[in-house]
Amino acid sequence: MYKYNFAYEFKSLFRNGWIQLLTILLFALFWFAFSNGHEKVAKRQADIQAAFDEVKESDQVMLKLLDSVENGLSVSASPWTIPSRPMAVGNYHPRVAAMDPGQLAYIATGQSDLFSHNVKPTTSGDDAALNFTEIINPVQQLFGSFDPSFVIIYLLPLIIIAFTYNVLSAEKESGTIRLLASQPISIHSWVLQKMAIRLFWVTLLLTLILVLVLFLTNTAGNLMELLPIWGICIAYSLFWFALSFAINLWVGSSSKNAISLIGLWLLFVLLIPSVMNQMGSTLYPMPSRTLMVNKLRTIKAEATEKQDEILDNFLRDHPEYAINDPNQGRSFYHRYMASQQLVREELRPVVMEFEDQLQKQQAWISQLKWASPSIMVQQELNALSGTSTKDYENFRKQATGFANVWREHLLPFLYNNEPFSSADYENLPAFKYQPLESKGTSKTIVILMVMGILVIGIGYLRGFGLQQKNNLIIQ
Amino acid sequence: MISTDNLTMKYGETTVLDKLNLTIKPGELYCLLGANGAGKTTTINLLLGFIKPSSGSAIINGLVVAENVHKSKKNLAYIPENLMLYPNLTAVENLDYFSGIGGKSFKRQELEAFLEEAGLQADAFHNRISTFSKGMRQKVGIALALAKNASVLLLDEPTSGLDPKASNEFGILLQKLRSNGVAILMATHDLFRAKEIATHIGIMKNGQLKQEFVASEITLSDLENAYLSTMGFKEMAV
Repeated sequence: MYKYNFAYEFKSLFRNGWIQLLTILLFALFWFAFSNGHEKVAKRQADIQAAFDEVKESDQVMLKLLDSVENGLSVSASPWTIPSRPMAVGNYHPRVAAMDPGQLAYIATGQSDLFSHNVKPTTSGDDAALNFTEIINPVQQLFGSFDPSFVIIYLLPLIIIAFTYNVLSAEKESGTIRLLASQPISIHSWVLQKMAIRLFWVTLLLTLILVLVLFLTNTAGNLMELLPIWGICIAYSLFWFALSFAINLWVGSSSKNAISLIGLWLLFVLLIPSVMNQMGSTLYPMPSRTLMVNKLRTIKAEATEKQDEILDNFLRDHPEYAINDPNQGRSFYHRYMASQQLVREELRPVVMEFEDQLQKQQAWISQLKWASPSIMVQQELNALSGTSTKDYENFRKQATGFANVWREHLLPFLYNNEPFSSADYENLPAFKYQPLESKGTSKTIVILMVMGILVIGIGYLRGFGLQQKNNLIIQ
Repeated sequence: MISTDNLTMKYGETTVLDKLNLTIKPGELYCLLGANGAGKTTTINLLLGFIKPSSGSAIINGLVVAENVHKSKKNLAYIPENLMLYPNLTAVENLDYFSGIGGKSFKRQELEAFLEEAGLQADAFHNRISTFSKGMRQKVGIALALAKNASVLLLDEPTSGLDPKASNEFGILLQKLRSNGVAILMATHDLFRAKEIATHIGIMKNGQLKQEFVASEITLSDLENAYLSTMGFKEMAV
């Protein structure tokens, strides 16, 4: 039976224009999505490059000024900005902490356009006020732009629904079911074969289109890296084909099948993620950022009032910076940096509360992601693309860590009252982003396939039950 | 061979087929006459295993259909009132597909020979079914019976809606199959065609087989009278 189904299903689909329509549709969607994804990644890279260029330019100015100062020449610049002052280097010539896009960043750009991919931490700046967009809820990040992940997660299931909702009902409605059922075959096996054949065509088309689009967008070098994405795509398609198979056997008429499948699409793709998002925010609400900013201001105001006392305490804690030469005074920056240290320590519980709630939300979503294959796939694609919440959190932590490294590098110059020289330039720390290790996608692929097979099993049992009752045709 | 043994079908309290006993031997063509709702299509659905009887059994070639749903269809062909085939496939392709999924594989020339034997014109063999008339589709159904080498043929009002010429051609084809030893059960409203081609005729009413005749032993006029009186139209009987 399979040989005949395979041959004639293709002929039939080709002659009624389905294969052509499917090819054009998938090609157009993926081409647009890939182009869009590449454009976003290119913009991100250009932004990062611009930041580096700016630093390069600023460094050239710094080195010229240092050269003039070291040669005893007068410079026409505000004394606060002359780079022989370590705090001038730390504040006016910061390094770039950039989150370089991964090889597959174009697959799932997520809300990358809303997040900062490069920051310039300064010595006197607040870590909490670094220009990171607020990461509130991981599910919010799931709703992204028109990139390949959007096509895979949102549109591919709709295409599969349109392609399969009436596999059995169309036979009933056109009347061919009676002739089919008069053959020595079981109808549910026949439907399953039809679904398998359609899944085969979708898989084949997806593979060809992905390869073609990769060549057209000059990313063919990533062919092997795309293998896990291809695997997820096929496993996710299998799940939707399985749902359609079960609905074909459980429901009945084409219109009811279509409504049921669209309902399931809404449930898995929109409703469950939205409910999880809402529940995550309700169960683990993020502390108010306004309150945090207010607290930051209060602590700063208090610290400003007690700067001398704070500096004394700071120097008691850091005897290496204490100097016994009464001729060497303490400037504004000595007091400010000491008070900043205190501000950071006092703010730590508030910041930790943010991080703690964020982690709880992420853990909650991770526990319940199995409720929706769409969430599973989106999380997996984001992780593969390096645009997941964890990736941004990883970058935020690394950048905050670098801010500390930057500060700690320049503080000894300040407290030891040593000038910064051009010889010290080479030793300035640089940021190197360390992306998260990929955990592999095989677990998600296997779970999606198991889910699909379970749904097929449920559909098959229904078909078997109807056959036992001899009412699969009359149903 | 087709037989039914006290075949009964009930939907809730309503009995749509009541203890039907029929035997159709190879080479016999049995026409079931009756008004709409008499139980003709239900009988065919039960013989095809589309529904399960409430009691009694439908038997095809010695196999109880309800217990051997697939096996009983191996040598069975069925032509419904409106034989629907795949409109985007040609006659040859439809024949190849339906005989293929039924487990019979043929070369193209053999498929064409079946269609020719079923009376389809050669220039239509490779046309899509969407261009076919009902009569032409019924011929593809006969070709399928030939391809399956069916020993049992079930027909549910196959000539309704056919023009007289097509209906006559269809009758000739059935005669040919019957003479080849096929046991044929045909549900129909067409008394004239039934008298012309059947070996046996039964009249059903309210799920019961009210009268049976050997076709050669009754005239068309007597058959018409028997039918009308069975249906309760005695004043119309001549």
